[in-house]
Amino acid sequence: MEIIFKNLTQSYEANSPLEGLGLDDVSLTIHDKRFTAIVGKTGSGKSTLVRHINALLKPTSGTILVGDREITPETNNKNLKPLRKNVGMVFQFPESQLFEDTVEKDIMFGPMNFGMSEADAKKSAHKMIELVGLGEEYLEKSPFDLSGGQMRRVAIAGVLASEPETIILDEPTAGLDPVGRKEIMDLFKNLQEQGRTIILITHNMDDVANYAEEMVVIHDAKVKAVGKPKDIFNDKSLLTDDILTLPRSAAFAQKLAEKNFSFPQLPITISELTTEIKRQVHGD
Amino acid sequence: MENIISIKDVTYTYPEAKRPAINGLSLDIYRNEWLSIVGKNGSGKSTLAKLIDGLIESETGSIIVDGQEVNEKNIWEIRSKIGIVFQNPDHQFVGATVEDDVAFGLENQGIPRDEMVKEVDAALKMVDMQDYKTRDPQSLSGGQKQRVAIAGVLATKPSIIIMDESTSMLDPNGRKTVLNLVKQLREEQNMTIISITHDIEETELSERIVILRDGEVVQKASPKTIYDMGHKLTNYGLEEPFSSQVAYLLKDELKLPEGYLNEEELIENIWKLSSKI
Repeated sequence: MEIIFKNLTQSYEANSPLEGLGLDDVSLTIHDKRFTAIVGKTGSGKSTLVRHINALLKPTSGTILVGDREITPETNNKNLKPLRKNVGMVFQFPESQLFEDTVEKDIMFGPMNFGMSEADAKKSAHKMIELVGLGEEYLEKSPFDLSGGQMRRVAIAGVLASEPETIILDEPTAGLDPVGRKEIMDLFKNLQEQGRTIILITHNMDDVANYAEEMVVIHDAKVKAVGKPKDIFNDKSLLTDDILTLPRSAAFAQKLAEKNFSFPQLPITISELTTEIKRQVHGD
Repeated sequence: MENIISIKDVTYTYPEAKRPAINGLSLDIYRNEWLSIVGKNGSGKSTLAKLIDGLIESETGSIIVDGQEVNEKNIWEIRSKIGIVFQNPDHQFVGATVEDDVAFGLENQGIPRDEMVKEVDAALKMVDMQDYKTRDPQSLSGGQKQRVAIAGVLATKPSIIIMDESTSMLDPNGRKTVLNLVKQLREEQNMTIISITHDIEETELSERIVILRDGEVVQKASPKTIYDMGHKLTNYGLEEPFSSQVAYLLKDELKLPEGYLNEEELIENIWKLSSKI
């Protein structure tokens, strides 16, 4: 589903002395079936932005088009279920939303809530638990007996079980160990390759460089830049104002550039970096 | 070196769990050191922090914190010496405003009101959140909440700070601010820092790294010694340091020295190779 923000503004605590803008005149297109990363400092408006995609927040002015569904300031809360079924959201610390007494019931809750039959939801739970790398033996366990990393996977399986077309991930790997993090990121990439749209909020610029095809930089409630990660990370205006930090490979290349190396474009992944170092050391 | 915490033969099993989360573990933590505790999810890191703070009680052995054994009698005195910053900031808020929240710990210690206001302001300033003091903590983003939580801990002036993955939600600049702050607190206020983390780069700031697996200490050594383990680090849920990953990919064509090189050393070596040609 293509997602189009049109001049969307979101105020919070309206008509109070603390009134402020969560989003300020945002116009943005997130393309169907792509992997888009949304980055920006703490408090810049990233989480606010994605909460509009499944209408958890409504625009104060402007509109958002999600597939063929338009959300305006007047949209009421009726009939949002089809939208929310199609837009799965994995929040920060999704494990805090687990509540059933078995993992299986927890995974089944979402799809059944969206009208899937019990038998189909069960089937889906069996499929998803494997997909997130836990195995069927976990289905009968209580989610509260699992480690933090395992609970995270169960919560992600619960969102995937409704088979959403678009998956929004709000820092889904925070607190996972690096090995677990890579597995989860590979899973999301895999889901995209199977035809889903992935929207990832992250502070991890290496994940952006390694996984995203497009990135959106949010700063002070506005869209500051949109484009391919390689181009955005090479946009000097974003780096000088501390709006963006570099992936580790690009930062490493910058330090080499202070010696006798030169990079017309900074590499953003470790393979680009090491290939370029070898080329320059060999002098060809 | 003087011990601030001595852990001896401690075992803890969660109710209904098949195997212990902490299994006969012994560890000395030195006064004023910065110690990193690392290991996979489920290796026992957070359980160990809870045992030190007396949030759960060990089945065997003993834990001495600053000369006092962790037991029911000493628990409140011990807790006043320890500040814990947890991973999930949503679980640690009690106040209606940011300043109330930071004041909460001080109120518990019976500090007079005017002094409290000063302490709260100072703590918020240290984490660069003074502009938010009248806001509802729930209206803040995850990273901002975490900075407020850290301010709450700092306000009570503990001698030990335990950071349980507490920078994992911060953006890179926010994380840098917090780590610099912790570094400064350790140096200026003589605090002991225990940092539970998955971030290998963060461990570089510490003096010692302890690796846990299945509730046991499998390694404790300086960062350099630990980083020399190279790719084996992934067995413990850790990533190799970035400079080691780069060096590994260069080694098939470039002749680099053996062992761990930090980023500066690696750059220096690459530069030497290129300037010879």
